[in-house]
Amino acid sequence: MTIGQTVTRKEDHRLLTGRGRFVSDLQLSPMRHVAFTRSIVAHAHLATVDTSEALALPGVRAVFTGADIPLALRAQSALPGYVETDQPALAVGKVRFVGEALAAVIADNRYLAEDGAELVDVDYSPLQPLVDATGVVIDPVHDDAPDNILIRRIFENGDVDTALEQSAVVVRRDLTTNRHAGNPMECRATVALWEDHRNLTVWSGTQVPHLVRNMLAEQLDLPEGNIRVIAPDVGGGFGVKAVLYPEDLAICAMARTMPGTALKWVEDRVEHLHAASHARDHRYEVEAGFADDGELLALRVDATCNVGAYSVYPWTVGIEPLMAGGLFTGPYRLEHYRCLVRGVTTNTSPSGPYRGVARPATVFAMEAVLDSGARALGISGADIRRRNLIAPDDIPYRMPTRLVDDSGHYLECFEKALDLVEHNGLDYDGLRAEQQKRVAHGGNPIGIGFAVYNELTGLGRAASAGPRMPFRTGHEACTVRINPEGSVTVLSGVTSQGQGLETTLAQVVAGTIGVGFDDVQVRYGDTNESLWGFGAFSSRQAVIAGGAALQSAEAVLEKALALAAELYEANADDLTLTNGNIMVAGSPQPIGTLADVARVAYLESNRLPAGFEPGLESTRFYDPVMGAFAAGAQVVVIEIERSTGELKILDLVCVEDSGRILNPQIVEGQVAGSLAQGIGGALYEHLVYDDDGNLKTGTLLDYLMPTSAETPEFTLGHLTHHADNPLGVRGVGEGGTLGPAATLAGAVADAVGLEIDELPITPARIWDGLAQQGGAGT
Amino acid sequence: MRVEFTVNGSAESVEVEPRVTLADALREELGLTGTHLGCEHGVCGACTVLVDEQPVRSCLMLAVQARNASLQTIEGLERENGSLHPLQQAFSDCHGLQCGFCTPGMVMTAVHLLATNPDPTRDEIRAEMSANICRCTGYNSIVDSVEQAATARGALARDD
Repeated sequence: MTIGQTVTRKEDHRLLTGRGRFVSDLQLSPMRHVAFTRSIVAHAHLATVDTSEALALPGVRAVFTGADIPLALRAQSALPGYVETDQPALAVGKVRFVGEALAAVIADNRYLAEDGAELVDVDYSPLQPLVDATGVVIDPVHDDAPDNILIRRIFENGDVDTALEQSAVVVRRDLTTNRHAGNPMECRATVALWEDHRNLTVWSGTQVPHLVRNMLAEQLDLPEGNIRVIAPDVGGGFGVKAVLYPEDLAICAMARTMPGTALKWVEDRVEHLHAASHARDHRYEVEAGFADDGELLALRVDATCNVGAYSVYPWTVGIEPLMAGGLFTGPYRLEHYRCLVRGVTTNTSPSGPYRGVARPATVFAMEAVLDSGARALGISGADIRRRNLIAPDDIPYRMPTRLVDDSGHYLECFEKALDLVEHNGLDYDGLRAEQQKRVAHGGNPIGIGFAVYNELTGLGRAASAGPRMPFRTGHEACTVRINPEGSVTVLSGVTSQGQGLETTLAQVVAGTIGVGFDDVQVRYGDTNESLWGFGAFSSRQAVIAGGAALQSAEAVLEKALALAAELYEANADDLTLTNGNIMVAGSPQPIGTLADVARVAYLESNRLPAGFEPGLESTRFYDPVMGAFAAGAQVVVIEIERSTGELKILDLVCVEDSGRILNPQIVEGQVAGSLAQGIGGALYEHLVYDDDGNLKTGTLLDYLMPTSAETPEFTLGHLTHHADNPLGVRGVGEGGTLGPAATLAGAVADAVGLEIDELPITPARIWDGLAQQGGAGT
Repeated sequence: MRVEFTVNGSAESVEVEPRVTLADALREELGLTGTHLGCEHGVCGACTVLVDEQPVRSCLMLAVQARNASLQTIEGLERENGSLHPLQQAFSDCHGLQCGFCTPGMVMTAVHLLATNPDPTRDEIRAEMSANICRCTGYNSIVDSVEQAATARGALARDD
């Protein structure tokens, strides 16, 4: 039984020896290379795009502009208040952000393609750019939205006005979160090869190959079976690669004009920072009313998400605003809630899915108002959370946005996190004493910050209804095939960008059927192999694809044992499979092997009992219908260097309810990695545009991701309350990102009384705050 | 221009334009695609290879600058009998990789660290490995990996 154990990952050997197969490694012959000419102006009419000089360059084979590719992505949603807009494959008539692709050069190698891209001569007629979602609109980004608002929705429950009037205290916070880049270490990459005018193979570092096939088939007016999408090894995704980009569409359209020749585009990091999807550029105005005892009575929220220049395909501009409004209240009981969310288009790169989608920002906001409420009421930050957390007895808990929480294990996570706090031999109470000692006797101040959150994972068809897109993501398919010699092949719709699904699914199938882990091969990421999968997003794969693998393995096991029962004249109910051997109840000796049975199923059909179909294979779809909420809590202990404003993390504890753990090492890796991204977003990472729409942080010298020098040791804890799905698992991919902005901001306030209203929490921001208090440098 | 160097002990000769980077020469001319390009401006470290035993960003070095040098890449670490280098083994044991894209550069930086400092402290590991960015692991498992490899190598040295 390998489920629940740490095993050597199947991925590791090839990745550690340089034998990984990434899209950028692909060499086909003949192959030509693509470079894009990108707008250097944030908002302008395109007067002329002159390609003649580029075309004259030796080695350049073709140059395309928007006029040559009459295709556009149009992300759809049936939500009232949503304005549909087009995102052209290459800009047509107008550019809307710095970095938008407006021409593409095809050449014999990437160097020549980039030379050519520089020679495309563009005449811009500038329009007034706007990069701030709360700024005054002079020239709208899209004609169909004169106020730049592409989505607007109100979430409402109860009577907020009355509840606020009746509150003992009302606190208000105005909060701004920082624009992030997902920044997987492998940038985007696409190779397209048309066999003829109607048959296309696309290699893409995508998280969603089946969706890409579906979307390309629609765009290119082809049957889906004519398109094969392959996602080989993919170097991180984090949501950024769950999008179909205009560049992908352009490459496929251009390659169609030259069947038999592969077109390859490998994005560089500067392009990635300018034109891959961004996230988390939000403003929140929050009013919260509390009773004397700290009970949260009402929340009024006004949220503005800067969604960038286009509606990201296929998720729409709703992805962040709807998530923000739908899950703002997190794990806290609340009846009276009113949240206005709006998604405002600006002359910046489109915002899209990024690990945690909106909730690192909403958890920051929610925890900030709890901390403010605690201070106003004179109760502790820990107690105000204890007072309001959804408890197991409340389950199923209907949140004010009508989502149904199936967890309730928040207090247990929180108390366990407090129990695990430790620094230099001091526990939580010891650190509180040390904090007071330093207040009294001097020394750098210590602060402790909290965050408790819920992560909606593994969304089934009902839980993913909110955005009202033309498709509903709820299920995954998995085929489990027992081969003629008894080994097992799994064909799954999952994709992996580092999450180790090749390993985890093999564990599920090996453990379920009763064969060795090494006897199971998992294949994924190729639409010609697996039947269907929505892919990697929303912490869904262990829950949904794991469930499909389990049910498919159970079905094929049943078939194998039924055949074995006939062949060995036993009762199928008495048979089990262990390590490839067929065991009969009451006997320590195997009566046969899976290999013997499989051989009959494929190669000796003459021995098949009447009515048995040859072969041993099963395909099952699984849809959890609802989702699995995963509870999480984080506590951070920091020290602030008064003379510099520098913040040092002394301890960071994260406790999550992972449900049943399939592989402890992989689960810890997911939590640790998401914590590091959360810390990066809280302290360092910030995409900054100037007022003209130029990205000032367009290299990794300017966009700072944490390294091993900035990342502290983590203290991780786990709860394992099984979820209501076949494997009992809850998703763990994103929760870690939700806490750090909230905990670190809370800890700064706890340490020095400085309310952090704007992220990231830089030393300069702390130092300025201390200076205003008159306390810096002392 | 014709450039000759040795890669993982084998003599190689490539014909490249002067502007071709060492990374592109390794990947495109020699098919050594284990060396990855993460930023192409010298920050992320994914393309790290050893040039005459020194770690180098192969995205910033031109192939012609490596003339007559001895290069080591990720492809050269595995033993002839197919067993993994102690660092490769440790990265697997400690889950020091997830997507594996930064991993070749990470491992080559660690090779240099252990060659110059066979018994580093965790803080020293953190300092040296901060030359490379990983977006997946949160780094602690990478520090664990380098620490384990150092211990394993120390044990091997004592056995000798």
